[in-house]
Amino acid sequence: MSGGSAVVGKQGRVTGKIGPGLVGEVMVPVRGGVEAFYAHPSVPDEEFGLGTIVVVVEYFPPRTVYVARALV
Amino acid sequence: MSPEVFIVAAAVVVAVVIVILLFKAVWRVAEPNEALIISGLGARRRGEGVDSLGFKIITGKGAAVLPGFQAARRLRLDTRAANLQVSCVTQQGIPVHIRGVVIYKVGDDLSSIANAARRFLDQQDFMTSAIHELFTGHLRSIIGNLTIEDLILNRERLTSETRASAADEMSKLGLIVDSLQIQEIDDETGYIANLGKPHAARVAAVARIAQAQRDQEATEAEQIAEANKAAAQRDAQIKRAAYQAEIDRAQATARQSGPLSEASARQEVVVQETRAAELEAQLAEQRLQSQVRKPADAKAYETVTLAQADRDARIAQAQAEAQETELRAGAQASQVKLAAAAEAESVRLRGEAAGAATKIAGEAEAQAAQARGLAEAQAARALGLAEAEAIRARAEALKENQEAVIAQQLAERWPEVVEAGAKAFGNVDHMVVLNGAQGVEELLAKALTLGGTGLGLARALLDGGGRNGAEPRNGAEPHGRSGNGSEPEIPREPAESRE
Repeated sequence: MSGGSAVVGKQGRVTGKIGPGLVGEVMVPVRGGVEAFYAHPSVPDEEFGLGTIVVVVEYFPPRTVYVARALV
Repeated sequence: MSPEVFIVAAAVVVAVVIVILLFKAVWRVAEPNEALIISGLGARRRGEGVDSLGFKIITGKGAAVLPGFQAARRLRLDTRAANLQVSCVTQQGIPVHIRGVVIYKVGDDLSSIANAARRFLDQQDFMTSAIHELFTGHLRSIIGNLTIEDLILNRERLTSETRASAADEMSKLGLIVDSLQIQEIDDETGYIANLGKPHAARVAAVARIAQAQRDQEATEAEQIAEANKAAAQRDAQIKRAAYQAEIDRAQATARQSGPLSEASARQEVVVQETRAAELEAQLAEQRLQSQVRKPADAKAYETVTLAQADRDARIAQAQAEAQETELRAGAQASQVKLAAAAEAESVRLRGEAAGAATKIAGEAEAQAAQARGLAEAQAARALGLAEAEAIRARAEALKENQEAVIAQQLAERWPEVVEAGAKAFGNVDHMVVLNGAQGVEELLAKALTLGGTGLGLARALLDGGGRNGAEPRNGAEPHGRSGNGSEPEIPREPAESRE
């Protein structure tokens, strides 16, 4: 899937807190726009607060991504 | 131009038009807010396995659709909104009535479009009601996990809960939730209103305090300004009054200067007039002095001098007269003295002579009186005899008319009758009178009656009374004669002459 491969590896900004037991949200630029994806931490028990920059590690259609801390 | 050319041109135009119409009929373009779902011949994509559902999704570009072999449907990717009304309870068990709106759209990725297309392509208007039903339940569970404070204040919590509860189901439908907005919370218990009250009261108190303070400051400032204004007005009025006073003073001075100078001029005139009057008075005085007083003085002096001369003359005359009188008096005195001495001598001698003469005359008179007495005695005896004769004659007459005479006599002699009656009792030593005063009166009346009736007694009385009455008549006569007698007065005359 071309859409799925477009998201993985991209960096995004956390707009909803990501943590264990939560459904976070991350804004990722894709297909010429910016879309919101449901986000979960790729490493369990890892938390990302609002505004944190993360990188998409895995993408599960239709709208779910797993993220890790971006090495900015 | 030949007709063939026209025909050819027309044929070309027609051909072009036909080509355009054909192209229009075949070529379809997906606009940015929609996706073309093409199904039919040749719609399967390359690379997709047999499990593909066999339709083609076109977004943002055009595609040829073979009429009759293929079908093209449009799925709108627009944002849609669904209104929600939920009655539920919060985490604290407070019943609330929530009115909100959820804004959602079909997801932009092919999986979401495929999911949505398979569910809603022919009933896109139904999507809203389905979402409404779906989100009603989700909202109820979301509110149940939140408190009212979170609901109002904690927006992140609300969106997080929304995602947590609705994300999976929305993903199944190929939809994504852009936003969930709580539009209105109806709180039947007044919880929200009470939440705000302390703050509102505090704010109101602060507002009132601030207002009061500002009002106070404003009032103070106003009062200070008023006071300053009043002070300024006062100062201005004081200054104005002072200036007015100066103006008035100057005006008064100016007004007075005219009358003052007039008065001073008048004063000068009066002074001069006064002086003139004084001079006139002096002139008149001098004139009077010269015309009246001097002549008057002269006349007075003349009068005085004349009077003095007259007085001196009179004094001198009086002195001369006095001297003359004195001398005359002295002369007369000596003359009188001599005359008196001479007269005294003559008187003495005359007295002696008179004495001797009187003595001789007295002796002579005595003898004369003796002789006269004798003569009178004889005359009286003769008279008595004559009277006796007369009585006797009367007695004889009475014998003839006795009663009348006796009555007359009685009437004349009544007092003596009574006296005689009384005398009858005088001889009695002791008389006892009975009946008191009445007894005495009876006794007297009897005695008198007795006496009155008895003519004899009356006659005796008459005889007694006749004898008694003759003697007083004799005694009375010498008395009257002695009063009229001039013989004893003769010797007195020489004494008076002596004085």
